[in-house]
Amino acid sequence: MPAPDRRDILCSSTPCSEPAVIWLRDSGQYLCSTHCIQHVENLFARTVEGQRMIAPGDRIAVAFSGGKDSTALLLLLHAALPTWPDVTLLAITVDEGIAGYRDETIHAAVDLTTRIGVEHHIVSFASLFGGDLDALLKGRESRSCTVCGILRRRALTVAARQAGAAKIAVGHNLDDEAQSVLMNLLRGDFPHLVQDAASGEPECFIPRIKPLAGLSEREIVTYLLLTGNYRELPECPYTGYALRSEVRVMLAGLEYRHPGTMKNLISSRDTIRKNTTRVSGQGGVQRCRECGEVCSGEICQVCRILSRPE
Amino acid sequence: MQIILPDRSTRQLDCGPLPIEEILHRFGINPVSIIVTRNGRLVPETACAEEGDEIRIIRVAHGG
Repeated sequence: MPAPDRRDILCSSTPCSEPAVIWLRDSGQYLCSTHCIQHVENLFARTVEGQRMIAPGDRIAVAFSGGKDSTALLLLLHAALPTWPDVTLLAITVDEGIAGYRDETIHAAVDLTTRIGVEHHIVSFASLFGGDLDALLKGRESRSCTVCGILRRRALTVAARQAGAAKIAVGHNLDDEAQSVLMNLLRGDFPHLVQDAASGEPECFIPRIKPLAGLSEREIVTYLLLTGNYRELPECPYTGYALRSEVRVMLAGLEYRHPGTMKNLISSRDTIRKNTTRVSGQGGVQRCRECGEVCSGEICQVCRILSRPE
Repeated sequence: MQIILPDRSTRQLDCGPLPIEEILHRFGINPVSIIVTRNGRLVPETACAEEGDEIRIIRVAHGG
């Protein structure tokens, strides 16, 4: 353990005189290593319990890319398993086929699932859709995240269904959620703004849960560093094309000048959801005439992506 | 002091003691998007750095 430094700022928790490792800008709290880990675990537990995300007997498929968020998610769920009767976990990694990126994260995913003893399934775009993402994106790189997101959701749904999972846990954090709210507003996409994936509609009937939705990216990375689970991994080469990149920078600037902005955005979305009549169920459930999956029109988004260049 | 930026490049900064947050501003980095170690230990960005310190800036916002 490193020697104490006279310049250390101390933890605000009482009684505690350990050096702080993080400052929570919106609450003004300084937390030491022990209290930061405790804070992350408490927030995770509060989110899961507050929204009744997990029920006895659930078989939960963790969407596990091997990146920082899904690593924290798998570790927190795995550590909490003894507190939930008869709940089982499995991890699903989707190999989109992104050269120079995915191989390393898959390696990290295999390492962790082997170390903690969690059942692990890997599904690839190539086996499900007949080609990898690099090939499918030719000429439409500007829509990379949209195309990848649609195909990845389908891949997860198919793999989770085959594995008999009752729920899919995804590693979306507070920053991701706030960015999605703003992106939906900027796109004028009201259905996606009010859609609650926890209900299992409209794209899959396996509900998706987001146990990290109350935790910021800083809290998650700090938690991984403090628990010895942080691993530097490459960034997706398509990130720069995404609207999310611009929204991320803009929101981070707002959060710095006005702490609490991200939580306020999510809270606004939740209020809108509570006061909005569902729009996604209009017209009833339909099946894609190409693949038979549930969709909102005649042909699902996956088949549209696979059948014609956009 | 030596600054290690998120892309792992290094810079030397010759100055007196100053808050790490001030260093971040000098490099155009938003404190919300990073975490910092001082001489290998995680510290809040409000902590001070001085001559002889190694400050490493780790980006938390990551695409992918």
